[in-house]
Amino acid sequence: MIGQAVLPTPELVFEPLLPELVLVVFAMAGLLYEALAKRTEAVVHLSIGLVGVVLAGGTSLWLWDWDGPATVLGDAVSADRFAVLARLLLLVVAALGLLLGHQYFARSGDEQRGEFTPLLLFATSGMTLIVASADLILTFLALEILSLALYVLTGLTGRRAANEAAMKYFLLGAFSSAFFLYGVAMAYGATGTTKIAAMALALTGTGEAQALAVLGFALLAVGFAFKVSAAPFHMWTPDVYQGAPTPITAFMSAATKVAAFGALIRVLDVAFQALAWDWAPVVWGLAAASVVIGSILAIAQTNVKRMLAYSSIAHAGFILTGLTAAGSAGIRAAMFYLVAYAAMTVGAFGTVMVVSGRGEKRTRIGDYTGLARTNPIAAALMTLFLLSLAGIPPTAGFIAKVNVFSAAIDAGYWVLALIGVVTSVAAAFFYLRVIVLMYMQEPEPAAPSLTEKVGIGAENSATAILAIPAAATLLLGVFPGVIVGIIRDASVLRW
Amino acid sequence: MGPHGSLVSVVAVGLSDYLPILLMAVLAIVFAVASLGASALLRPRRPNRPKLSAYESGNDPVRLPGGERFSVKFYVVAMLFIIFDIETIFLFPWAVTFRQLGLFGLIEMAIFIALVFVAYVYIWKKGGLDWSATPPELMDDEDSDEPAAAGEVSLGAR
Repeated sequence: MIGQAVLPTPELVFEPLLPELVLVVFAMAGLLYEALAKRTEAVVHLSIGLVGVVLAGGTSLWLWDWDGPATVLGDAVSADRFAVLARLLLLVVAALGLLLGHQYFARSGDEQRGEFTPLLLFATSGMTLIVASADLILTFLALEILSLALYVLTGLTGRRAANEAAMKYFLLGAFSSAFFLYGVAMAYGATGTTKIAAMALALTGTGEAQALAVLGFALLAVGFAFKVSAAPFHMWTPDVYQGAPTPITAFMSAATKVAAFGALIRVLDVAFQALAWDWAPVVWGLAAASVVIGSILAIAQTNVKRMLAYSSIAHAGFILTGLTAAGSAGIRAAMFYLVAYAAMTVGAFGTVMVVSGRGEKRTRIGDYTGLARTNPIAAALMTLFLLSLAGIPPTAGFIAKVNVFSAAIDAGYWVLALIGVVTSVAAAFFYLRVIVLMYMQEPEPAAPSLTEKVGIGAENSATAILAIPAAATLLLGVFPGVIVGIIRDASVLRW
Repeated sequence: MGPHGSLVSVVAVGLSDYLPILLMAVLAIVFAVASLGASALLRPRRPNRPKLSAYESGNDPVRLPGGERFSVKFYVVAMLFIIFDIETIFLFPWAVTFRQLGLFGLIEMAIFIALVFVAYVYIWKKGGLDWSATPPELMDDEDSDEPAAAGEVSLGAR
């Protein structure tokens, strides 16, 4: 010992990171099982995944009553209730993704898909980390963790379309990550910190470094807009959502949006809170472009997955509409929308998976002709999810839309709310078109019934999984109060 | 000056810190140009074929035929290299400040090495280190009735 001073190291408080640690441990257990076991069973993989997700959910719930420091590990990880709520939502989506994926690979009979569970758990750990991140460096790392896992998941089946989608996603995603990192650098230049709370304090000061801060925010916004697939950074979405295996599309369309919006809420309403007048027009523009482009281009689609991808772009716009209202009103509206959106989009893509049978067949909109005859349960589920996506009562989508529009109007952005309402009407056309096809037309004579193809057992268990999002969609539509109180308690703001 | 300087003054203050680097860069350029120039002026000129080839005492450089593909195995090697390279890069500063970092450093490094080790076991068992293994063939979309998204305009014009 030469008598050197001990370097300042953060206090080791790992409890607020427990959900991520659990997920990573179980992901690695899955990897080792896949690597070391003589013969791997898909059921074991599924069990490892589900146990990991449930344990992570349990530790998240325990963190709801956390009374330790608000941020731990050198102010990098936040232990607030907002993180808990977003984590729980992500973990539910992950569990549904695991179950749907298990069905998908069991049916298609593809061997050697043991990487599915570990990769999904790794992606989930990145997502739960990003919503708890209180430091932009950690936000970036979490963004990379979730993105890298999702790139591989997209190409997991090795089909040509899936590989192409993975490549597109990877190239554009890497590009957007660079924008994000540059934004972090600019924000650091403006405030001298990457910690979100310290950044907020620095920006409420004299505000002389505003130009640099606004530049930093603009670059961060590009990175976030890409991840939430807001126009005009949405170009990858249709190709990736169409090319990826359907259960993975279901998982990533819902979970990536929840994660990225969770982090965006922290950046907008905490870090850059003082610059609300500067960022609100940016969010306004992104929201307006997304609802218009998403809704109009969805009309022209002939593939259901592609149509739902454009619909997800429009929904990113609706969530951004809520976020134009700075402060807790906007956050509450956006969070409710995220819960509702997660339920209905997982449900919609899950139903697409049920209808497509084995692999990626039968995903054209024409394949839904007369579905009410050949598979009444799937048709009913699809109708429920499409009505909710269109925003028709008594579904969750309706309440969610009312919330974001009233938040935007209260904040004085009634033009944006008007654009949102008008495009919602236009969007109702392509949702209702599918319902009309399913119920009011006869099935094509050659269309094979679903049960012949995959066996009635597989179909029933896949449909049973969809009861969860269906119940959530209805429950939130009829009794939105069950979650509104929780969302109010889980605000990201402390003042 | 602190974090609240105006944009111009922040940039100006930042630039003055870079003055030594600028001087270093200028010196490096001057030295390189001067030595190459002196060498060009002073050296005897007796060219012959082996002397002009790219690697004087190695193999003849081979031009790859157009459109030839590299085996994907090379990418695996590159990725493996990065995994262990990064492990070393992290281990080195930790080893230097091992005593000062104390328990925190030990725990963090143990977690990090455990993560990399799992990746290593996985790669090994999956045959990533097996050079002679043939990669799995790309699956065709014969059971998909939808054309691949190739060539589609992303704006969705179909």
